[in-house]
Amino acid sequence: MKNESRRQFMTVAASAGALASLPLKAFAQTEPPGTISGDVIKGEKAKSMQWHSERPLTGSVPAHEHDFDATPNDRMFVRNNLTTPAIDINTHRLTIKGLVDKELSFSTFDLAKEFRTVSMQGMLECAGSGRSTYRPAASGTPWLETGGMGCPVWGGVRLADLLKAAGLKPGAAHIAGQGGDPGMVPTAAPVIRSIPMAKAMNEATLVAWAMNGEPLPWVHGYPLRLVVPGWVGSASTKWLHTLSVLDAPFKGTYMDSSYRVPRTPIEPGTKMPPDAVSAEAWPVKSIITSPAPNAHVKSGPILVRGRAWVGEGAVERVEISSDEGKTWQRAQLAPASPLHPYAWRTFTYEHRPQRPGYVSFLARAWDDRGNSQPAVPYWNPLGYFWNGWHRVGVVVDA
Amino acid sequence: MILCASFEGLSQQKEDRLISGPGSTLTETKCKICHELQHIRRAPLSRGEWADNLKNMKERGTPMTDAEMAVILDYLATYYNREKPAPEPSPDTLATASADPIEKLLGAHACAACHALDKRVVGPSFREVAAKYAGDAGAAERLAGKIRAGGLGAWGSVPMPPNAGLSDADAKTLAGWVLQQK
Repeated sequence: MKNESRRQFMTVAASAGALASLPLKAFAQTEPPGTISGDVIKGEKAKSMQWHSERPLTGSVPAHEHDFDATPNDRMFVRNNLTTPAIDINTHRLTIKGLVDKELSFSTFDLAKEFRTVSMQGMLECAGSGRSTYRPAASGTPWLETGGMGCPVWGGVRLADLLKAAGLKPGAAHIAGQGGDPGMVPTAAPVIRSIPMAKAMNEATLVAWAMNGEPLPWVHGYPLRLVVPGWVGSASTKWLHTLSVLDAPFKGTYMDSSYRVPRTPIEPGTKMPPDAVSAEAWPVKSIITSPAPNAHVKSGPILVRGRAWVGEGAVERVEISSDEGKTWQRAQLAPASPLHPYAWRTFTYEHRPQRPGYVSFLARAWDDRGNSQPAVPYWNPLGYFWNGWHRVGVVVDA
Repeated sequence: MILCASFEGLSQQKEDRLISGPGSTLTETKCKICHELQHIRRAPLSRGEWADNLKNMKERGTPMTDAEMAVILDYLATYYNREKPAPEPSPDTLATASADPIEKLLGAHACAACHALDKRVVGPSFREVAAKYAGDAGAAERLAGKIRAGGLGAWGSVPMPPNAGLSDADAKTLAGWVLQQK
C-alpha cells in the first residue's frame, strides 16, 4: 500500500515538470505523540538558523545567510502559532466547503492528478518580521531586523482552479484556510485565517505540496499548504485540510485580535485603535545579503548584493547609499519574471571605496506605486511590517 | 568546585521565570502552557496593551477564569509595565495566602492553574490521578517524584512542568493528598 502510494505520488509529481522526483516522506519520530519535535525540525535546518523561541519554535537566518536567488528549504524561516503535526499523506484530505455548488474532497495525489500543476517562486514573510527593531518594543515573536522571510519555489495547483471546480455560489467573498496543527491545550483556538476572493483567484495563489522540488518539510506544512505570496505569512495556512468559502472575512481570534494594523499612524506605545484593519500585503522592502555585516574586504570595488520585494505590485528600483542616506545611487535590478511576479529580485551595486577603513551601505527600494522604504516605519502595537532601511557596514582593509 | 558553580549558573539561566511578586506563580504557569516567558520579559507593555493581550490569549484558548485573568493583568501591569519601573521582587503572597497547608502548597506551585478536583482543566483532575494509581502500593513515592520532575505523555500531549522548588517532604505531602481524592 505504501509503495503503491509512493509510486503514484512520484508519477503525478513527475508530470509536474519542475517537481521531478518527490520522495514520500518517511514518518518521523514524534513527541508529543502526533507532533514533530523541535529537535527533528532543527535537524532539517541550516546551522545558521537563529532560534529565538523554543515554544512555539521560531527562527530564521540573518540577511547575509539569505544570499540566494531562491531560498533553500533549510533556510526558510520557521514560525508556528501551535505545534507541528505529523500528518500521513496517505490519509490526509483537503475539503472545500461553504458557499460552493458542490463540496469537494481531495487527497494530495488527487490534486496533482486532476488539476494543472504549477511551479511558482513567491515571497512569504511573517507579519512580525523585523519586530524587535521597533521602539518601544512591540509584543510578539522577537524577529530580528532581517528575520522572518524567504522566497522558495512552490509547486502545487492554483487555488482558483479548485474553487472553480467546486463552483462559487453568489455572495462568495472570502476563503478561510484551516490547518491540522494541534495546540498545547484542547481549548486552543484553531488557527483560521481568510483571504478575500480577488487574492484567492490570483494565479499565484496556490495549494502547494512542494518546496524547491521537494515535498514540503514537516514544519512548512507537509503535506499541503496554502501559499498566498506577498501577503503576511499567516495567510498561507500550513497543514491545510479545509477551505471554507464565506460571504465575509472569517470571524475569529486570528482575524480579529491578531494580524491587525492601525488604519493611520498612531502614537508609539498606545493601544490598537478600534478601526484597525487586517494585515494583508507587505509594503516594499529590501535587504543587503552580501557582504556580511562587519566583514573585512580587500581594497578595490565592493559588490553589494541584496534582494527586494513588495507584497503587491512591482519593485521599481533599488537605491544604495554609502554616506548614511545623504546621497543615493541606483543599483542594478534583475528583471521581473512575468511568471513569478511575487518573487524577490536580486539587486547589485558596485562601490569603489575612496580610502581604507569603515564604509556603510543602506538599501532603499521603491515600488511602482511611488512607495519607498522609510528610514524607520510607523510604530504599531503588534510590531508588524517592519521595512526600514537595512544597513550593513564593512571594513576595507588597507 | 568551579565546575559546580558554573553548572548551577547554567541551570539557573535555563529556568524560565518572571519577577517574583503577587500573582507571579499563576502568571508563569498559565503563560508557559503555550510559550516561553521571554515574550513577557522582552516587551513590557502598558496596562491597556496587557489587557488587550490577555483578551487575545484567552480567545486563543488559554484556560483561565476571569478572576485569574484579573490577577495576571494586575501582576503584568505592575512588574512588566513600560511606563513605570518594576517594584523589588517579593514573595507571591497571593499563591500562599491560605492557612490550610495543602492549599498553601497547591497555591505556591500554581497546581490549580492546570488541575481541578473533579474536572479536566489542562491536566487530569486530582480524582483521575487518584483512580489511576488505585491499589498501587508504590504510588505515593512515584507520584511525588512525578510532581517534582514533571512529565509528558501519561495524560496527553501537554507537558507538566517540573517543580524544582518543591521539597521532597512537600512533594510527598501533595502526592499523599492527591491519592486520597477518590
